Amino acid sequence: MKEKIIQTLTSLREYASSKKVDAAFSYHEEDSYLMRFANSAISLNTNEHLIRLEITVYEDRRRASYEMITDLNKLDEMKQGIDTAAEMVKYAMPLNYQPSIPHIKENYADMQGFDSALGSMTGEEKLAYFNEATKGLETDKITLSGIFSSGTNILAQISTKSEYTQYFQTSDAQVTIVLAHADLKWEVTAEQSAQKKDDLKPEELHAELSFLIDRYKNEPAQQVPVGSYDIVFGAAATAEMISFMNWIGFNGGLMKRGFSFLTEDHVGKKVFSEKFTLTDDPSRLETFPFTRDSMGMKREAFPLFVNGVFQKFTWYQDDADEFGAQPTGHNVPHKSLVLDAGDMDVNSLQDLVKMSKDKDILYIPFLHYMNIVNPSKALVTASSRFGTLLLKKDGSVVVPYNVRVTQSLLDIFGGKVAWMSKAQTAYNTSSSYGARNPVAIVVPKFIRVNDLEISHSNSSY
Amino acid sequence: MQKQLKAHIDRLKAAGATYVDARWYPVEEANYLMMWNGNLKETTSSRESGLGVRVLYKNAWGFSASSDISNLSTLFDKAFDNARVAAERVTFPVRLAEKDVIQASFKSPNQIDPFDVSLANKIDFLKSMDEKLNQPGVVQRASEMMFVRKQIIFLDSEGSEIEKNIIEAFPAIQVMGVDSSGETHSRKFIPDRLGNSRGWETLDMQLFTENAERIVRELNEVLVADPCPKEDRSVILLPGIMFLQTHETIGHALELDRILGYELAFAGGSFVTLDDFGKLRYGSEKLTARADATLTNSPGSFGYDDDGVPAQDNLLIDKGILVGAITGRQMVEEANARAKRQIFDGSSGANRATAFYRVPIERMTNINIDPGEDGSLDDIVRNTEKGIILDGDKSWSIGSNREQFHFATEIGWLVDDGKITKVVKNSTYKGETVKFYNSLSAVGDESTWVVHYVDNCGKGQPNQIMQLGHGVPVCRFDNVRIGE
Repeated sequence: MKEKIIQTLTSLREYASSKKVDAAFSYHEEDSYLMRFANSAISLNTNEHLIRLEITVYEDRRRASYEMITDLNKLDEMKQGIDTAAEMVKYAMPLNYQPSIPHIKENYADMQGFDSALGSMTGEEKLAYFNEATKGLETDKITLSGIFSSGTNILAQISTKSEYTQYFQTSDAQVTIVLAHADLKWEVTAEQSAQKKDDLKPEELHAELSFLIDRYKNEPAQQVPVGSYDIVFGAAATAEMISFMNWIGFNGGLMKRGFSFLTEDHVGKKVFSEKFTLTDDPSRLETFPFTRDSMGMKREAFPLFVNGVFQKFTWYQDDADEFGAQPTGHNVPHKSLVLDAGDMDVNSLQDLVKMSKDKDILYIPFLHYMNIVNPSKALVTASSRFGTLLLKKDGSVVVPYNVRVTQSLLDIFGGKVAWMSKAQTAYNTSSSYGARNPVAIVVPKFIRVNDLEISHSNSSY
Repeated sequence: MQKQLKAHIDRLKAAGATYVDARWYPVEEANYLMMWNGNLKETTSSRESGLGVRVLYKNAWGFSASSDISNLSTLFDKAFDNARVAAERVTFPVRLAEKDVIQASFKSPNQIDPFDVSLANKIDFLKSMDEKLNQPGVVQRASEMMFVRKQIIFLDSEGSEIEKNIIEAFPAIQVMGVDSSGETHSRKFIPDRLGNSRGWETLDMQLFTENAERIVRELNEVLVADPCPKEDRSVILLPGIMFLQTHETIGHALELDRILGYELAFAGGSFVTLDDFGKLRYGSEKLTARADATLTNSPGSFGYDDDGVPAQDNLLIDKGILVGAITGRQMVEEANARAKRQIFDGSSGANRATAFYRVPIERMTNINIDPGEDGSLDDIVRNTEKGIILDGDKSWSIGSNREQFHFATEIGWLVDDGKITKVVKNSTYKGETVKFYNSLSAVGDESTWVVHYVDNCGKGQPNQIMQLGHGVPVCRFDNVRIGE
């Protein structure tokens, strides 16, 4: 398959060159499977095999793109796509800067993230995984929802600047299991991200779910008062906040356009807690990394924050071209973000519940529907969901109804950070909008932040 | 092609499938142009085609899709095999509500096909907008237009055969500025749907020009405004934010698949239960909401849904009482059976997929609020003692059961003793859904009612983006917390 893809891209390059068209080609192929559960049944079992080709044509300072869903047998249709983009570019308006054309300097193939065993899992195997992860936990009232999303992803690139190609192939799986009470409407969840089949451990999910179900079935539930709390965020909540930081934080282009809480003055300054060290590290396979960007740049560990001090902005090539910045190898579908571990010895929720506490702690594992209230202040809002617990100083546990947190990321990751756990996990943040793009963020399993405001508290589940 | 599809549908029926449908997209095209600060950053066209096959076997669904339709047998067999695996874990048998067999077609009303308009003309429009937005106070400006044209052919094992040809146009302009404290503020204009068509003709240069001037003026007012106070006031929501309030806390809350728990793994559930239909006082008597897929000029109107059910106009909330939901064939059967009573008479025709490679799910059509009898915006302001007028969606976050929400808007105007006193920045409001709608104290008349489209509603796994509309008037809600 790889050879046929490379051959097709090479043929397209030759066709464009023969027409004296400067062009870049990006090929994306996904073989996606999704088994979805609801009300304890398989509500949907689906697969999609899709091939997308993006053709970008350049003429002086003009640029136009043509995208198609196609298949490898339709070379003539792809060539027509080149003709269409070449026609469009004539009418495009010149940019006030010179856009760069991808220039790949050597043939490069990265398949280290591909595990054929994961990519070819059968429906029966996925069902068996779910059955094991939820064994004995479902009742007439406690029902199963969730997904087993898996697939193979191929990205290949070439341009008329050189005959060289880049090829990336990965496999991935994202598992979410939700157990919810049909009448009371409480929900608990456990999730797993897999880059290879061996990463799938249903027994771990079973242990997490069992623990939470016990708490939700047996501990008292209550509406907690609004006000100030010491909060321990779980991996899902932390990864979500880091995702938003990726958006409104260290992206150079968005900073220039006023959509960032960071400015050029912040470079070299302390922005967050000294416990906060964040790196874009493509050596971490569990993040489904890209080791080259689409411009052909080699990607290596890129420090963003070191002990809270902001290091540098990331730049897409087009933004770098427009604003006269140096490109940083970030023309990739996603970064490989890794938040360093801390020194607190807490490996599991059970550990967290057991540890001695100086005061009551609100545990928020998951933040639902986060949005940006004010990007300049890094102000975000979201609601807790899935297994929130109030861990009392006396060792007892209360199940709180969901709460809303409206806080600045500058506060959450600033001086209020009390500790981060030694244990890390890769939390899968993949979205299935558009083309398959598996992504995970490595974060400490638990982060304690003191003195954060709860602005709303539900009166029931 | 249709003959081949029918043959494969018949083949799977003979093999034991109880229902099969195929959605063939011979072509779906899109054209997107975006100008940012005078730079034509995006000039993109796209084209796709393919087939999605849905199979019901032993009370479970299987689905498969591919852009490669050279081997139809494999595609249909994969969908069947997916259903066979799903049938191993069935708790509530999938049954489909009755529907008529339909052989028909639907064409969205357009005077000018945007794909017949030259690229040069489109760029000229953007250039003109960009020049109008390039004013003092504006540090970032963006103009964009997106056009979609698609042909969909639907066939099912019950004998229906429907062809849809749909064209949509989605233009927008936006300006951004920075205030003295370094905070960025924005103001945008997305044209309400006027007239009865959906083509290039909806890009009215005069309308855009007037609104370009307005959003620049309002942005400059926000840049020098005081912050929104943190207190309780009446909020007067203009259609530019009322559409989103409706979308998030009526539309999504009343999707029957959410109510039945089919979205718990991702999007969430709903505070609404099956017991609530016919009983729950969702809002004050001034609240009447409907799902109307028969509006001519909205992307929420599509002729027939992807179950092959005709578009309808159904009440959701009647004078404050919950009476209906957004439904498809499967969910109404399940809801009636679970409730042990006939809540729904049949599908409301709202099961839609975003593309050939996605499975249909309950989606909003046009979720509208009926105009009321409280006069114009001026009348409502005149009758407000302590309030704030809000417009322009900036941020929205909703609880997982749609039970509570937090919205931020682009602009606010304080109202005191019946008069607008000043503009405020960073305006927000929050509330609990049922309490909020029960505080609805004024609903504007026809003069305030407009159809606002949404081109990016996300739902489902795999995720789907859908286009729809909201016809909404100006609405006032009392005792709402603002400024947090």
